[in-house]
Amino acid sequence: MSALLTVIVFLPLAGVAITALIPRSRGGSAKWVAVTVMAVDLALVAWLVANFDRARAGVAQFVVNVPWVAQAGIRYHMGADGISLVMLVLSTLLGLIAVVASWKVTDRAPTYFAMLLLLQVGMNGVFLALDFVLFYVFWELVLVPMFFLIGMWGGTRREYASIKFFLYTLAGSVFMLVGIIALYLATGTFDITALAAKGAAGVLGIGFQNWVFLAFFLGFAVKVPIWPLHTWLPDAHVEAPTAASALLAGVLLKMGAYGFIRISLPILPAAARAWAPWIALLAAISIVYGAAVAFAQTDLKKLIAYSSVSHMGFVMLGIASLTTVGLNGAVAVMFSHGLVTGMLFLVVGIVYDRAHTREISELSGLSVAMPVTGGLLAFASFASLGLPALSGFVGEFLSLLGSWESRVVPHWITVVAAFGVLLAAAYMLWMVLRVVLGKPSEKVAALPDATLREVVMLTPLIALIVTVGVWWGSLLGYVDPAVRAVLAVFGRAA
Amino acid sequence: MAWVLLIPLLPALTFAVMAPMSRRARTTWRWLPLAAMSVSLVLSLLAFARVWPGGSQTPTFHATTVLARLGGVPLSVGIQLDPVSVMMLLVVTIVGVCVQVYSLGYMHRDERQGWYFAVLALFSAAMLLLVLADDFLLLYMSWEVMGLCSYLLIGFWHEQEAPRLAAIKAFLTTRVGDVGFAIGLAVMWASARTFDFSVVLHGFPFGTAIATMIALGLLFGAMGKSAQVPLHVWLPDAMAGPTPASALIHAATMVAAGVYLVARSLPIFEQAAPWVLEAVLVIGILTALTGGVLALVQYDIKKILAYSTISQLGYMFIVLGAGAEGAALFHLMTHAFFKSLLFLGAGVIIHATHTQDIREMGGLRRAMPWTTATFLVGALALSGVYPFSGFWSKDDILTTLWTSGHLVAFWFALGVAALTAFYMTRLCVRVFGDNACSLAREGHNEMLAPMALLAAITAVVGFSSQTFAHFLLGETQAPLNLTIALTGTAFALGGIALGVWVYLFHGVDTDRLKVRVPYVYAALQHKLYFDLVYDRVFVGGFRSLSAWLAGFDRTVIDGAVNGAAQLWSATATTLWRGDVTLIDGAVNGVGALVRGAGARAREIETGRLQTYQRLALAVLLLLLVLSVVLLRGA
Repeated sequence: MSALLTVIVFLPLAGVAITALIPRSRGGSAKWVAVTVMAVDLALVAWLVANFDRARAGVAQFVVNVPWVAQAGIRYHMGADGISLVMLVLSTLLGLIAVVASWKVTDRAPTYFAMLLLLQVGMNGVFLALDFVLFYVFWELVLVPMFFLIGMWGGTRREYASIKFFLYTLAGSVFMLVGIIALYLATGTFDITALAAKGAAGVLGIGFQNWVFLAFFLGFAVKVPIWPLHTWLPDAHVEAPTAASALLAGVLLKMGAYGFIRISLPILPAAARAWAPWIALLAAISIVYGAAVAFAQTDLKKLIAYSSVSHMGFVMLGIASLTTVGLNGAVAVMFSHGLVTGMLFLVVGIVYDRAHTREISELSGLSVAMPVTGGLLAFASFASLGLPALSGFVGEFLSLLGSWESRVVPHWITVVAAFGVLLAAAYMLWMVLRVVLGKPSEKVAALPDATLREVVMLTPLIALIVTVGVWWGSLLGYVDPAVRAVLAVFGRAA
Repeated sequence: MAWVLLIPLLPALTFAVMAPMSRRARTTWRWLPLAAMSVSLVLSLLAFARVWPGGSQTPTFHATTVLARLGGVPLSVGIQLDPVSVMMLLVVTIVGVCVQVYSLGYMHRDERQGWYFAVLALFSAAMLLLVLADDFLLLYMSWEVMGLCSYLLIGFWHEQEAPRLAAIKAFLTTRVGDVGFAIGLAVMWASARTFDFSVVLHGFPFGTAIATMIALGLLFGAMGKSAQVPLHVWLPDAMAGPTPASALIHAATMVAAGVYLVARSLPIFEQAAPWVLEAVLVIGILTALTGGVLALVQYDIKKILAYSTISQLGYMFIVLGAGAEGAALFHLMTHAFFKSLLFLGAGVIIHATHTQDIREMGGLRRAMPWTTATFLVGALALSGVYPFSGFWSKDDILTTLWTSGHLVAFWFALGVAALTAFYMTRLCVRVFGDNACSLAREGHNEMLAPMALLAAITAVVGFSSQTFAHFLLGETQAPLNLTIALTGTAFALGGIALGVWVYLFHGVDTDRLKVRVPYVYAALQHKLYFDLVYDRVFVGGFRSLSAWLAGFDRTVIDGAVNGAAQLWSATATTLWRGDVTLIDGAVNGVGALVRGAGARAREIETGRLQTYQRLALAVLLLLLVLSVVLLRGA
């Protein structure tokens, strides 16, 4: 039983080894290896979900905990609580879809698919690791394949974008490493669960907590990203190949928010409470600023990238509220944003593959020329702007509820954030109006519609977006107990 | 009685089935929504029979489900069947079926009609769910889905520019109100930890301040959806959609949802500070007047009706402001029937004349006797002439205002009644009167039949006034106050007489009037400058802000990032130069380190891909070495 998480995390590494052995002349077989590995991985996650004890979703399950570097107290410690579980589902599902979306990649295909698989190891591991060193290794591991995916298979400014992505996030995580070491020196352990217990017991002084919180904040905030540390994101998104964009927005951004929930809140509760109003302020700025800048974009991918800044603001608002409702909302936005933004990038990829442009002014009338593609883009847009009965609404609504009832977030911040819902409708519908509606433009008129492969790969996303939107419990049933466990340290009404 | 759930579920399933179909398959299955709506209508009638004789506030049927648990607290949604919801069910299903039948004729040449019918089904489902909701959350969710359907139908002919723009305008303007709605719900949740009507509408002690905030939020939402001043600007533009959709959504049902919302949540409004209800009243008066006055100067038949809808919704708000939901809901019902009738009639006329401009019409009474007769029934009802339904509901409103002592509102309402009769007379004279010959032909039977049904309902439903009040709220209504009834009739007939004198007998030269009061006419032509101001201030302002922030993001924030990188690069290069020229060889170890950094940094500036790859590989190697060392240690 306890080997299951290890298999889920490292199975893609076996795929990396296999694809590495494929000669370049037989490069076409790499995608079959990747898709098989990812399908098996997802099936294992499905089995994990089926055997997960929802009543005990607040504690880590399927735990594996053995010594790794005994002298330094570093352990190979992994486990999945409700939050980890839903993030793992997101990561493996999008991972599989990313492989299918890359079906036409022929340029250095074995390396490309090896990078996707390596990325998967890091993404899966981050959401399961319960030891700081392990967490850090997975965290940094993610950077490398993503760097190559952008730098080798990206657009025209790929060099700039990839190096910016790499150095920016690396700079952030260096501070995180400092935080980890500081905690180790103060407590003598790298174990996240043990540290959370110490955090709950109030062992760490507030002064010390504040400094460590700042270090972690810098690491996580770059990844989320929180305004004003967000400018690596539009560049990385625009230059990345479709699959990498989907994973970047769908999974990688969630790592930052996950870090706040798994590490900052439980281990440094006093500092978290002190910082919460400021984080809420930055969140509200991210929401409105991201939405306003998204409105001005002329490139579809850039528009979606800035919309991510805005949506991730709702995640941070929910986290900063320090309420169960808000935190449920934060995780719901994380999950939903992964589905919806992943889908948006994939649909834009479908358009770009055919039209070879993402300029909004050159695209118009998709629903006439390519009704299926246009319909999918419109669907994803409505999910993104938070239409009820689709997943986007759940989290943003709960995030607002939580931030209003929060004792640490001033009401005016909630009001400002609520206008983000209006602005989201503005930039999304303005995009739909220009791209989906109207008469087909020259570049679009003669294009073939989405293929069966493309529609099938998006179907699970559509199904989940609707399921979560209609039946909130299907997601929150796993999340709520875990959220309560995280917030237990703050008392009933933080 | 779980079958009540089928009433919204059947149309929703229809949509779910039709949405993934191909265009051709959808056209083949275009009758499916009608079938579903017909079953819903029958079920609604059955539900009505169960609730009869009504008069009780306790739901006849109530079912809830837990949507999710938040911090262990169940967040439940559910449906309930009480007199108000069953009344709304009947309105929605009757008008819905009529519009579906009518649309089969109206849309039969359209290539994409299948999508139109599917969206109409989704709309009906959302509206039916909204009126069944037993809590504010489900109500809000249905509310937003209706907004989506409204958007899709307004923009149905999106190859043209006007419908596209009208669609986005409608969605965004109503969403301005919904921001308030959402905040109101957040306040409600923070205080009551539930959205259930059974708790929050039945004496939950919010306290005045909290109740005021909630009520304002709900009112804001209602103003957007029900097109109240100053959020009314989207409704006239929404007429760019297919006319039958306008009849259902933008006349009879969705726009009335705001009235329904305020009527439902009146207990919260009553807990709030008294000025909140007064604000409802004032907004109602302003809206009723604005709509009526602007209807006067329109030449587009649909826009006249749209402004009239705005005005009538204002009428309902006036009486809500007086705290009487019964009169508001009664007018909501009669208005739903006669206004959808008018819109369907307008659709036939537009179909027949290929124009929406009333100046290009005339003399249609000869060619289109059925349309004329039914349209006139609707127009008389709207004008408040006995015995048509509008007379009764308007009389209810006037009586309520009079007896509750809202005398100013009473006189305004009377004035608007005369105004309404006047502009409807103008419309009817232009369209049916005069002697312009027309080649127009009468509409198809599937279009006339629903109009005949709606006209019949309009003719008789007013007499149910007493029964309605008892059924809905268990109130015994005072018998008809003859003085008020006669005063109301006098104002209505006065308006009609004036209209006949001006437009039929040309008693006043309207063109000279326009010259005589140029400023007034210009203001009316520009729709009282609402659109102009919104466009300049809000839309223009946001566009400028957005463009400015995008520039700020590129130059200042991203500039800082790039600047930092360049600074580091320059520092490292300087150190390296100093190293080789001054202390070369002195500290080889350090020198090598800095040289590495400097060289690397310079190459970053030069932007060579291989360098970056090497850099990344170096970091990867470092990590690998680190883990190997640590592992060996183990």
